[in-house]
Amino acid sequence: MDLLDLHAEGFDPVMSREERALYHDVDRNRDAVREHVDRLRAATALFVCFPVWNYGFPAILKGWFDRVFLPGVSFDIVDGGVRPALCHVNRLCIATTYGGDRLRTALAGDPPRRVAGRQLRWLVARGAAYDYLALYDMNRADAARRAAFLDRVGERAGRGVGRPGAVDRSGGVR
Amino acid sequence: MRVLVVHCHPVPESYVAAVRDRVLGALGRAGHEVRLLDLHAIGFDPVMGTEERRRYNELGPGEHPMPEQAAHLAWCEALVFVYPTWWYGAPAMLKGWLDRVWTPGTAFGLDPGTGEIRPLMTHVTKLAVVTTCGAPWWFSRWVGFPGRRTILRGLRVLCAKRCRTTYLAHYRMDASTEASRARFLERVERRFERF
Repeated sequence: MDLLDLHAEGFDPVMSREERALYHDVDRNRDAVREHVDRLRAATALFVCFPVWNYGFPAILKGWFDRVFLPGVSFDIVDGGVRPALCHVNRLCIATTYGGDRLRTALAGDPPRRVAGRQLRWLVARGAAYDYLALYDMNRADAARRAAFLDRVGERAGRGVGRPGAVDRSGGVR
Repeated sequence: MRVLVVHCHPVPESYVAAVRDRVLGALGRAGHEVRLLDLHAIGFDPVMGTEERRRYNELGPGEHPMPEQAAHLAWCEALVFVYPTWWYGAPAMLKGWLDRVWTPGTAFGLDPGTGEIRPLMTHVTKLAVVTTCGAPWWFSRWVGFPGRRTILRGLRVLCAKRCRTTYLAHYRMDASTEASRARFLERVERRFERF
């Protein structure tokens, strides 16, 4: 298990001018974030744990996607089409909290749920076990609801972890 | 009207910077009072720190961790965001500006009785996003336009009740041509001349 605590490690979420210039250069684009790329590529299961702020990921996590999920790392560009490249990941689990209630969030389109369920899920192995665990309306959640959510995360987290046989999705073209 | 243009791109000579200049030019010609906030130029730090987060929910009216940024929010009557769409949303830099600047007591309040969110940005009557996307329109739609919705729905509920929204995007940037980019710049210019 590898815990990446972005705040504790002082991760800088801002893509620099140099990184942007090298973004499509698959031999050099990971130079600035090599350690993060290695850790991501070593994973067969990915848990992402964060609060939803303003209907999105906190900047520090958004920046981890911006800077680490590079061409040649999380996706490949082949003949102008994009192919997923995280096929070594066969378990994806999201655990998150929202200030807004479920209805208000649904009216805004629930962007984090969409990004996780469509974009992130698309990048990992086909058939990967997937959970999106969310506690809505945090500002009014009492101790019982918070505890029940913790229990749920604890129960679900181990599901599908260590399942062998990542499916190669290199045939999938969009 | 007083328009705050929030620009976010790490490369000063990028296409997005050209888009921003068209926005600024058109708004100026239309007689608006325009203020440019270039997040990379000011070296904005998008990460909310530990103490800032601890105090976040206790922020009252007039209290803000970055008063100079709060002053921009108080000043403007319209907001235009100009940025590249990365992973279906705003770059971390811009997302951090939303996280750290649109705070309780300034952008919204929580009703002490019901815990309901109450808008405090009701002086803002127009919101606009101008962006570039690597993905095609149909794939962005399938993902659910997360970046567009974060701003045009998420922030909009904190603004005036009848706040109007504008969204302009150049899709499939990696397959763009000189002609498609020029067409988009013209489209942006026309749109903001009658903003």
